Amino acid sequence: MSPTALFVQQVINGLSLGGMYALLALGFTLIYGILELINFAHFSVFLWGSFIGMWTLEAFGLNGQSVVLTGLPLIGVLVAAFVASMLFCGILGVVIERYSLRPLRNVTGPMAMITTIGVSYILFNVILLGAGADTKNFPNPLPELRFHILGATLDLRVILIWIVSGALMLGLWFFVQRSRLGKAMRATAQDPDAARMMGVDVDRVILIAFFAGSALAGAAGLIFGLYYNFTSYIIGYTAGLRAFTAAVLGGIGNVPGAMLGGLIIGLIESLGGQFIAVKWTDVIIFSILVLVLVFRPTGLLGTLAPSKS
Amino acid sequence: MASETSITTSAAETVPWRAALARHRTKALILLVAVVALAFPAVNGNAGDIDAVANALAFAALALGLNIVVGFAGLLDLGYAAFFAIGAYTYGILASWQLTPAWSSFWAPFAWLDLVQKVTQGNAAVVHFTLSFWIALPLSAAIAAFFGILFGAPTLRLRGDYLAIVTLGFGEIVPIVVRNWSSLTNGAAGLNGVAPPQLFGQSFGVEIVPYYYVAIGIVALLIFVSGRLRDSRIGRAWMALRDDAVAASTAGVDLTRYKLLAFAMGAAFAGMTGTFYIAKLQTATPDMFMFPVSVMILVMIVLGGLGSVWGVVVGAIFLQLLQSWFLPAISSWLHIVGNLIGSPWLQQIQLADAIELIFGIVLVLMMLYRRDGLIPAHRKQGALSFEQQNAQVGESHGFRMSGIVREDSSSVPALEIKGVTVRFGGLVALKSVDITVPAGGVVAVIGPNGSGKSTLFNVITGLTSAESGSIRLFGEEIIGLGPHKIAKKGIARTFQNLRLFTNLTVMDNVLIGQHARLSTGPLGAVLRLPGVRAEERRARERVMEIIGNFGNRLAPRANQNVAALSYANRRRVEISRALASDPRILLLDEPTAGMNPAETFELAQQIKDLHKLGLTVIVIEHKLDVVVRLADTVVVLDHGEKIAEGRPDEVRRNEEVLRAYLGRNAQAGSAGIAA
Repeated sequence: MSPTALFVQQVINGLSLGGMYALLALGFTLIYGILELINFAHFSVFLWGSFIGMWTLEAFGLNGQSVVLTGLPLIGVLVAAFVASMLFCGILGVVIERYSLRPLRNVTGPMAMITTIGVSYILFNVILLGAGADTKNFPNPLPELRFHILGATLDLRVILIWIVSGALMLGLWFFVQRSRLGKAMRATAQDPDAARMMGVDVDRVILIAFFAGSALAGAAGLIFGLYYNFTSYIIGYTAGLRAFTAAVLGGIGNVPGAMLGGLIIGLIESLGGQFIAVKWTDVIIFSILVLVLVFRPTGLLGTLAPSKS
Repeated sequence: MASETSITTSAAETVPWRAALARHRTKALILLVAVVALAFPAVNGNAGDIDAVANALAFAALALGLNIVVGFAGLLDLGYAAFFAIGAYTYGILASWQLTPAWSSFWAPFAWLDLVQKVTQGNAAVVHFTLSFWIALPLSAAIAAFFGILFGAPTLRLRGDYLAIVTLGFGEIVPIVVRNWSSLTNGAAGLNGVAPPQLFGQSFGVEIVPYYYVAIGIVALLIFVSGRLRDSRIGRAWMALRDDAVAASTAGVDLTRYKLLAFAMGAAFAGMTGTFYIAKLQTATPDMFMFPVSVMILVMIVLGGLGSVWGVVVGAIFLQLLQSWFLPAISSWLHIVGNLIGSPWLQQIQLADAIELIFGIVLVLMMLYRRDGLIPAHRKQGALSFEQQNAQVGESHGFRMSGIVREDSSSVPALEIKGVTVRFGGLVALKSVDITVPAGGVVAVIGPNGSGKSTLFNVITGLTSAESGSIRLFGEEIIGLGPHKIAKKGIARTFQNLRLFTNLTVMDNVLIGQHARLSTGPLGAVLRLPGVRAEERRARERVMEIIGNFGNRLAPRANQNVAALSYANRRRVEISRALASDPRILLLDEPTAGMNPAETFELAQQIKDLHKLGLTVIVIEHKLDVVVRLADTVVVLDHGEKIAEGRPDEVRRNEEVLRAYLGRNAQAGSAGIAA
C-alpha cells in the first residue's frame, strides 16, 4: 500500500475504534458528571456487553465467521444482539448503582471508587471462571462487501460500526439535550441539591445515567467483537483505560467532549500503531492523559472546574 | 448533679493508668508476635512454608507503604506496583550480568568500592555490576522515592480521583517500558541471575531461612517507621489533609509538600521491598508488577484497615497465606469430598483460581459493611462517665492564654485591605473592598446572606484568589501567598460550616493548629530524639492550656473523636485549633452559629477576653447583640460592596444598612436591625 492509502486505511480504522471508545467514554462522562466518581465497574460492564453479544449471536446459530447472512435476517440478528447487550448491561449498571454505590453516596474519600474496583473484579472474574481464559472466536454474520477509497478498504463491518455508534451518540445527545429527563440530568450534574429542591428525583436520574452509560458500554462491547472478530476476558481493562483517557481528553462530564475524545484516541491508536509502534501505543495514550491532566484538566471541551470542593 | 468543678483533674487521673495498661498490653502483644515470628522457622522446618511466609511478609511491607499513601494521606494510588518494579529492577540490574559495558578506567573507583568487578571475557574486559544487597535496600528506596515525587508532582493540583487514574497510567507505563527496553531489562524474558545477598562473605544462595529473617527485619523496620510517622507532626498533617484539605491548609499544612512526602515515603517502602523480593527470587519479569499486583495490595490494606499499621500487616499476611496455604488446603479437602460423593466438579475445583474474585468480593463487602477494616486505625474511645457527662461547667474565669503578643496599635494596622475585587465568572463577589483593622481591634463584618463575607475571609486566608487589590498583614503583602504560608504568617480562622478533621481526636485537631509552629521533620519523627519529644510534649501542654479555657467542656474529652462532640463543642475545638497557631489575627466565621443563648453569651465573653489579651479579631456574625458587645468597628457588606463602616451604634442607624437588611420600604426609624 502507498503511504497515502495506509494513512487513509488507518483513519478509517481509527474512526471505527474511535466510535467504540466514544460510546464507552460516554458512560464514564455521564456518571462522572453527576457523581464525580470514576466508575471502574464500567470496564467490566463493557466486557459483559461483548460476551452477551457473542452469546446472543451464537444463540441464532452463528458460529465464528462461517455463517453469512444478508437482508432482513442479518438486520434482525444484529438488532437482537445489540438490544440484548445493551439491555443486559443497562440493567447491570442499575444493579451496580443501586446495591453497591448508593449506600456509599455520602461517604467521602476514595471509598466509592474502591468499591467500583471491587465490582469490576467480581464481574470480570465471573467471566474468566465461567467462560475460561481462552480467546473466543466472535461470530460475524456480515457478508464480504468492500469499497475502495484512495487505495484503502472500507468494508461493511466498518460502515455498520459507524452507523451504530453514530446513531447511539445522536440518540444520547438528543436525550440529554431535549428530553425532560435529560434536562433533569444536566441539572443534577450542576447541582444535585438544587435539582432535588426543584423536584428532580435525583436517585432516579442517577439510575438512568447508569442505565444509559452502561447500555452504551454494552453496545461498545459488541462492536469490539464485531470489529476484531474475537473477545476475551481481558478486553475490558485496556479498552476501558483508553476510553477513560478519551473522556478526560474531551473534558470529563462533557457529552460532546467524550465523543470527540473517543475519536481522537481511536485515531491515535490506529495511526500511532501504524507509524510509531504498537508496543508504545499505551505509553502514548497515557502520556496524553497525564499531559492533559496537568496542562488542561478541563479537557478540550470541558468547563468543569478541576477542583470544586 | 456533681457540683465539683475539679472534674478535669479527676479525668486526668483516670486516663494515665488506662493508657499505661493499654501501652503494656500493646507491648506484650508485640513481644508475642516477635517471638512467634522469630521462632517460626525453628518450629516449622518446611522450606515451602517458610518461603510462603517470607513472601507474605514482602507483601506486608508493600501494604505498609501503600497504607501511608492511601490510609494516612487519603490519596488513592492505583499504580503502586510501579515503585515495587523500580526497586526490583534497581537491584536486579546492578547485581546481575544484564549490563556489561566495556571496562575503562572510569570504573576503577567503583571497583575499589566493590560496586563493580572487572571481568575478562575472551579478549575484552567488561564491567560486572556487583552492588551489595545491603546498599541496594536504601538505594532503591531512594530511587523509588524520587520516582514517587516525579509521578506525584503533576497530579497534585488535581482532585484525588484524577490522582487515582494518573497513578494507574504510570502503573501501566512502567511495566511497558520495562518490557520494551530490552537492553536494560532483558524485556519480557526477564532479568536472570540476580545475585543473592551476602552476609559476612556467605551468600544466602537458595537457602530460605536467611531471607525469612531479612523479611522479618524489613517488616519490623517499616512497622516502626509507620508508627512513628503516624504519631508525629508528619502523620497528623497527612491525616488532616485526608480529612479536610482546605482546613488543613489554613491550619498551616503545605498540601503539596505533604502529599509528595506521602508519595515518596510509600514509594520508598515499595522500592526497598522490590529489592528484597528480587534478591529472593533472583529473577524479575515485567508481569510481576502489573495492575493486579497494585489492586492486591489495595485489597490487603482495605481488609486490614486503612490507616491501621498492624491491620494492614495482618491483612497482607492473611491474603497471601490464603492464596498459598488456605485455598489449596480447602481445595484438596473438597477434592476428597468430591471423590466420596462422586462429583467430578468438586474433584477438580481449584479455589486459588478464584482469588481475584475473592479480592473483588472482599473490596465490595468491606466498603459496604466495614470501611474501617478488620483492625480499625481509630480505636473507639470509652464513653465519659456519668459524672463527666453531667459535670457542671465552672464559671468562666476569663480566658487565659500565654503567647498572645499585644501588638503596638499606633504603628501599622494589623490588616489593611485595599481595593480587593473577587470575581467568580460573571459574579462579582467582592467589589473593591477597603477594610482597615487596627492592631488589637475587633472588627465585625455583617451583611445579608451572599453579601461576600465568607469570600472576604477566603481571600484573606488565601483560599480564593483576588482579581485585584492588596492585603497587608502588619505592612506585609500577603495576596498571592498560599493558605499555609498565610497561616504561618499569623492569620488563623474558623469556618462557617465547621471544618474539623472528623476522624481525629480533639487533641489531634488542636495539635494540627500548631503545625506551622512546630518543626519536626520526617527523620526527626522517626528517630524521636529528645528535642522532638520535648517539642511534642510542649505542644500537648499547649493544647491542654487552650482547651482548658473552655472549663471542662473539652478537657475531659481531649482523647475523644471530634465526631462524638456536641455542635457547640465542635465550634470550641475549631476555635482552639485556630488559637493553637499563635495567630496575630483571628478570623471567626459565625462562631456562635447554632449555639443557644447561654453558650453564645459565654463564647462572646471568651472572645472579649482574647481581645483584652491583645489579640486582633475579625468576626462575621449575624447575632447583633454579639456584634455590639464585641466590636469596636462594624463593616457592612452588601452584594460584595462595603456599604457602611463605623461604631456599632452608628451602623445600626445607617439607612443604607437598614435597606440592605430590611428591604427598600423599611422605615429608617423602625425597630432597627437588632430586632
